[in-house]
Parts: sequence; C-alpha cells; structure tokens
Amino acid sequence: MTQLENAGSPQEKLPDSLSAFIEGIQVRLGTSTDIIYRFITLGPSSVVVVYIEGMADPQALMKAIHEDAGQFNEFSEPQPERCLKLLQDRTLSLGKVGGITNYTEVETELLAGNSVIYIDGSTHALSAGTEALKQRSVEDAVSQSVVRGPREGFTESLRENTALIRRRIQNPKLRIEQRKLGEQTQTNVAVMYIEGNADPEVLQELRRRLDAAKLDSVLESNYIEEMIQDQRYSPFPTVYNTERPDSAASALLEGRIAILVEGTPFILVVPALLVQFFQSSEDYYQRSDFATLVRMLRFFCFAIALLTPSFYIAITTFHQEMIPTTLLISLIGQREGIPFPAFLEAFIMEITFEILREAGIRLPKSIGQSVSIVGTLVIGQAAVDAGLVSAAMVIVVSITAIANFTLPAFNVGISVRMLRFVLMVIAASFGLFGIIIALIILGLHLCSLESMGIPYMTSFAPMRRQSQKDTFIRLSRRTMKKYFGQN
Amino acid sequence: MWRKFLCILLIISLTLLTGCWSRKELNDLALVMALGIDLDPGGYAVTVQVMNPGEAGNQKGGSSGGVPVVTYQAIGRTVPDALQRMLSMTPRMLYLAHIRVLVIGEALARRGVSDVLDFISRNHELRTDFFLLVAKESRASKILEIITPFEHIPANSLYSSILVSHKKWAATGKVTLQQFITELERGGSNPVMSGVQLNGDRQNGGSVNNVDTISPKTMIEHAGIAVFKKDKLVGWLDEPGSKTVNYVLDEVDSTVSNEHSPGGGLAGFIITRSDSNLDVRLDAQGKPEFTVRLNIEANLTTIQGKLNLNNPASIEDIQRNLEQDYDLSLTQNIREVQQKYGADIFGFGEALHRKYPRLWRTYRENWEDSFRTVKVKVRSKIVIQRIGSIIQPLKQEIEEK
Repeated sequence: MTQLENAGSPQEKLPDSLSAFIEGIQVRLGTSTDIIYRFITLGPSSVVVVYIEGMADPQALMKAIHEDAGQFNEFSEPQPERCLKLLQDRTLSLGKVGGITNYTEVETELLAGNSVIYIDGSTHALSAGTEALKQRSVEDAVSQSVVRGPREGFTESLRENTALIRRRIQNPKLRIEQRKLGEQTQTNVAVMYIEGNADPEVLQELRRRLDAAKLDSVLESNYIEEMIQDQRYSPFPTVYNTERPDSAASALLEGRIAILVEGTPFILVVPALLVQFFQSSEDYYQRSDFATLVRMLRFFCFAIALLTPSFYIAITTFHQEMIPTTLLISLIGQREGIPFPAFLEAFIMEITFEILREAGIRLPKSIGQSVSIVGTLVIGQAAVDAGLVSAAMVIVVSITAIANFTLPAFNVGISVRMLRFVLMVIAASFGLFGIIIALIILGLHLCSLESMGIPYMTSFAPMRRQSQKDTFIRLSRRTMKKYFGQN
Repeated sequence: MWRKFLCILLIISLTLLTGCWSRKELNDLALVMALGIDLDPGGYAVTVQVMNPGEAGNQKGGSSGGVPVVTYQAIGRTVPDALQRMLSMTPRMLYLAHIRVLVIGEALARRGVSDVLDFISRNHELRTDFFLLVAKESRASKILEIITPFEHIPANSLYSSILVSHKKWAATGKVTLQQFITELERGGSNPVMSGVQLNGDRQNGGSVNNVDTISPKTMIEHAGIAVFKKDKLVGWLDEPGSKTVNYVLDEVDSTVSNEHSPGGGLAGFIITRSDSNLDVRLDAQGKPEFTVRLNIEANLTTIQGKLNLNNPASIEDIQRNLEQDYDLSLTQNIREVQQKYGADIFGFGEALHRKYPRLWRTYRENWEDSFRTVKVKVRSKIVIQRIGSIIQPLKQEIEEK
C-alpha cells in the first residue's frame, strides 16, 4: 500500500515490480476499460505493454517485439536493464522511443496515445510512439470557400495543420512553439510565426497572455481567443480565425502570429485589424482590378447590412420629407392597413429571419432546404398578403440579410447582426440624428480597440499610406514589392 | 455587475419609455400633393389635394375604382388657420412636405401674394422645390378638382407637365418658391409665374369618368406666363411673349420656331441650344441701353415649300432671315411688356445695378417709370447645325424630275 500513499507526489519514481507498476497506473488512471495491458514474456522476463485502445495503434510495436523475441531467449536469468536497452536500440524500429523514469511521464505518454513498455524488475520504462493518427483527411474549407484558390482546409489534427502551413512556407525561419493548455484537457497549442517577420513585442505579449490564461479546458480555439483578446466587451472580434491554410500562411508572411489548437480546424491569427475581416484570400487569386471592385462591394455591403433597416425606420417615421415623392406615394400605399409601427414591423421581420437562419444551421441539410423554402414563402409572400408587413420591408430585410453574407469573415458578420438591432432601436427613438450619433460612437469605439497592442483600425487610424495599396483596393502584385504588413 | 446591468437597463428604457418625439408613421399622414389658395370674403379659402393611399399607392392599379386624390377645402382668416380647420374633416394629419404645386387663384394673385408666401416660406415642413402657378381666370380650387390621365395624381401630372413643357416648349415658367421670392425681394426685377387654366367641360372634371374616354373631357393646360409687379399680378403674356421671357432669362433648353423660307413657304426649326447675355451700355446722354445677345443653335426640321438646299448659300439665307426675325419679334415682345405692364420681369434693372452701381442709385426709386422708356435691342446669332436625313425638300425633288 505504500504506492497508494505515494501516489500524490508527481515525480514519483517507478517501482521495480510488474504488479506494483500496474497498480500504480491503476491508481492514477483508474481501471478504465480502454487501458490495455498486454503481458508478454521475453526470455525469462515478464513484460507488460500498456496503451489506451483507440488512442494508440500498437500493431507495429507488437510485431517488432514478436519478430525479435528470439534474441531474448539467450538470457538465462532476468536482466531487465539490458533487455530494455536491447529493445530500445535494436528491436524497436519506431519513430519515437524514449526512456521513462516516473509516473507523470507514464501518464502523459499514455494519454498522448503512446505505448509504455515495462519489464519486471526494472526501475524505468520505455515509451514507444504508437499514436494512432485516426483523423479526418484534409477536406474543403467549408466556412470560407473560394472559387479560385486552394481548396484544402485545416483538420482537427494539430500536426497535420502545422504541416499544411509548413508545406506552404518552406522558410527555415518558420518557428513553432508548443505548449499545453487546459488543466484537464492538456490540449496541445502551437504558436507559429516567422522569425524576423513577426513583431517580437507582439510575440512577447502573446506569450505573456497565453501564460496568464488559466483554462480548465480547451476544446476549440475560441477558448483561447476569449482569454487573449484585448477588450472583453466589444461587438467586434479582435482575433482573426481561419480554416484555410493559405490564408494562415499569408498571415504568417505578413508578420502575424498563428495559434493552432489541437482538435479544431479553426486557427487564430493575431494581431487582427478591422480591414482583415473584409479581405478574402481569394482577393489575391483574382485579377487585382476585380478584387478591388469586390472588396469595395464588401465595404458597401457592410454598410447595407448594418444600416438599411435602421435607415428605413428613421426615414419613414421621422424624415418623410427626404423620400422622393413618387417613392413616398408607393410606400404609403404599401403601409396602408399595416397594424404595426415601422420599427415593430422591421423588428418582427428581422427576428423571423434570425430564427430561420438559426434553424437552418441546426437542422440536417435535407430538412434545412425545406425549412428555408417554407421560411421564404412565409416571410416573402404570406406576411405581405396577410397585411402584417409591407412589401418594402421584406425587401429591406432580405437585402440586409443577403448583404450580411458577403462578408468573408463570419465573426464580423455576427457583430453586424448584433449592432443592427441596436441601431434599429436608436433609429426608432431618435431618427437619423440617433443613427449619426451611434455611428460616431461606433467609430470612436473602433478606434479605441486594439489587438495585441496594435490599433484595430491601423491603416486608417493611424493612417498608413503604404497600406492603402491593399486596404480598400488591391493593387497589382507588381506595385507591392513585398508583404508590407509587418505591423 | 448588477449595478452595471441595471444602469444599461435604465438607459435602454430611456429610449423606449420617453416616446418618440416628432415620430409619425407613414399611415398617420395625409400626404398633401397640391395646395390651392383663393381669396374669400372670410380671409383665405385653402384647398388641399390629398393623396388617397388605398388608391394611388396601390400597385395593383387602383382596381377598386376610387379616386386617387381627395380635395378638402376650408376657410380661415390666415392660411394656417384654414389648414387647421381642415383637420376637422380629414382623418389624418396633413403633411405638407411633398407639395408638388402651389396654385394661386387669379383674384388673390391680383391682390398680392406676399402674405400667403410668408406662411409658405416660414413653415419648416415645406420644401422649396415645388412650382408656383396662377389659375388663369379661375379659382385655384377648380384646378385641383380635375382628374388627369396618365399620372394617377393630378398634382404630379401638373408638376411633370411643367418640367416637360418648360424643357421642350419653353413657353411656361418653371418658377419655384425660392426663385419667386428672390426676384420679388431684389430691386430692379419683378417675378413671373406660370399660369394654368381649364380646358373643356368644367363640370365633370372631378370624376373618374373624366379619364374614362380616350379624349378626356377636361384637361389642365398651361396658359402662358403671368407678369407680376412686385407681388401683384398685372397681366398675362401670350405664347410668343412667354417664349421671349424665357429667351431673355436664359431659360430655354429647347423649343421650336417657324420662319418663312427664302424659297417660299415655311421652314420649321428646333432650337437645341440658346444662350442669352444681357449687356448694358450708356448712350451719349448717359442713359442706359440694353442689348440682349442670343446665341442659338438650331436644327432644320421641315421645309414646307421649295428651296435648293444643295446650295450652302440658302442655309445662310435661312439663318439671316431667322436672325432678323428673332431680333424683331423679341424686341417687339419686350417693348410690349415695357409699355403695357411696366414690370421689369427681365431683370434689366438688376443688370444695370451690377454694372453701374452708382448710376443705379439715381434710377432705383423710379425704375419702373424708366423701364417703360428704356431702349432695348436684341442681337441674335443663329447657327443651323443639321438639316436632317434628307437634303432637298420633297417638293423640290418632285419639281426637278
């Protein structure tokens, strides 16, 4: 029972008997059924191979041991240390083999999917890299699809993801720093950057924040995003995320820093500027003139998605004199018999759309289709026919919704959706004056934001002339001698 | 945390609970399309033409057969007084911002419009881009009670017909409130307004039946330009007179013109461009003399008669004829205004003021009398640019064969 009492100490040495070794493991990992103990005899010694089923794939290991079992028969009496040495040097032709001297390491290795080999009588064990790479293969990036450009997206495997980036940037200065975050989950988190491109101060700041992050678990990169973002209460994201290795690579080349998290295809990129959320990697794969037009269209759509309903409310309830007469006549005709004020009308429609949208995400693909058809019919036709909302309002809500989808970054789309409702309330109470005041406050807020200490509005405020080549517009690659991000 | 939350909640309730000052929903508004003001023994008789939303704004084309507009009339000692009284009849609040035309009855115009315009320009709700019209030999209310074809809303019909006829015909005035008041308040010039009158059966114009037949029984038509002396209507100009005013004021975009052809018959032209320039000079006695210089570009549109257009000299002949004719008729028309009305609607005094501010002082007080006798010359320069798709007139062709 001495083992049990000592179990608390982390650096506890391994015992020298097989049964005590197994008992020690069981104290730490419990008697979970997926922990497999394979007992084999190598000559005079009893050996146990421990691994976690599913996490580890010990087939190659077992095969190697069995094929080489003959050489252990020459030992007449148990010589565990020599046995281990022999195993390590000759038998195991596996990628990663290492010696283990305490239980903490045993735990780590087992949980990481490696196998631990222990020979009766020894005071240390061997770990063999048997990690089962059972994972999704590289597939299309679903959340950020492009017409032209690489199709592959990140997977859930951290190693695969770092490889996807390394394959794109074969620069010896590409660095990966790895750490484990999450008290319970012990999730691997990798920080990637190109030495020389990345701002050392930003890097230092990021390391500091990651060190300070007290996390119980990390299941997705947002767990980390929330811990490292500069401002907790802002509708705008100050950390960029992407599913595309090419846009991650481009961010690294611009001097940004990527944070990869085991178990999610979404990697984080810092520092993030507002303009970044309007840029799609496809901008660089298309002709520059077209990319420029598309980019301007996105800024325009951002304004539409943010302002159309509130603008409509403000103008139709406060500033009717601003509407061209013929349009006003038509609007009045449409609103005839609508029981709700314009604000409520807009609110009902926007909420209905949000409901449909949320339902569309959650529902299985096949049902989602029919729901959206019913939704369109309900909103578009029946609501107007029933005299609940005016046809103009349907147009306003649909153009808003569609414009929202042009934003290449999903999370800035969420900001717009939230702010839209705020602006609607303000427009209904204060009209255009309210909208203008709200926009001024919004502008001030954006200027006050920072991402890893870099002003969020960089390239506008502070104004950078050089960056204008790739902000609203994208000039041809000839005019951009190198990546100038540098931040 | 709770305090913060409570604070936010209070701020939000501030916006919602206070009610929305000056908020008005579209379906609370009675959209006034036209305003008519007449003289009445009790003050002013104000007529408003209000859009009937169920009918006019209906995209399905007014199938219920109702009228697109409704007119209300009320009498008050002032215009706002009458408008206020009207609310006892209208189901909704009158909204004046979208008035397309303001029609003034002739009787009121002759007595002076400045009291009415004071209200119109003082009211913050009104825009200033509507047109001012005088109802020739009629009450304004009559004009507003006619249903028009094409345009659902009669006021819109009036508005766009002024725009079109001003642009293509140039015998109507496109006078907005702003322009009228500027001319009114400026020394050395007098304002004009465009006139409208009813044409045809005056009894049944107010019913939808009016537009049931291919040729509507009653139409609103333009009636030349009304000459004002300060704020009082003094008389009307016929079509040539109205065109002259527009030529001199440089308001002509495009119009038509006829001229005797050198080879006999008539030649028709379309004026595509016209620039006018007012020149002031002092004669030997130190009296001002005015020269209106016109630069006109025209296209030949028709020749009713014979003329050898193969010869460039004949085009020059036409140009010379045209120029002489323009000089003569414009001078005559201007003289008519000078002598008949003595109202300087051309802004000659203004031009004198600008060029000879010191001399103007001696004229300022009695410019109206001096205007009657002042010498005005017209010098026009006309260039014919195109003669159309054929060269020789058809009559000439027939003869040659």
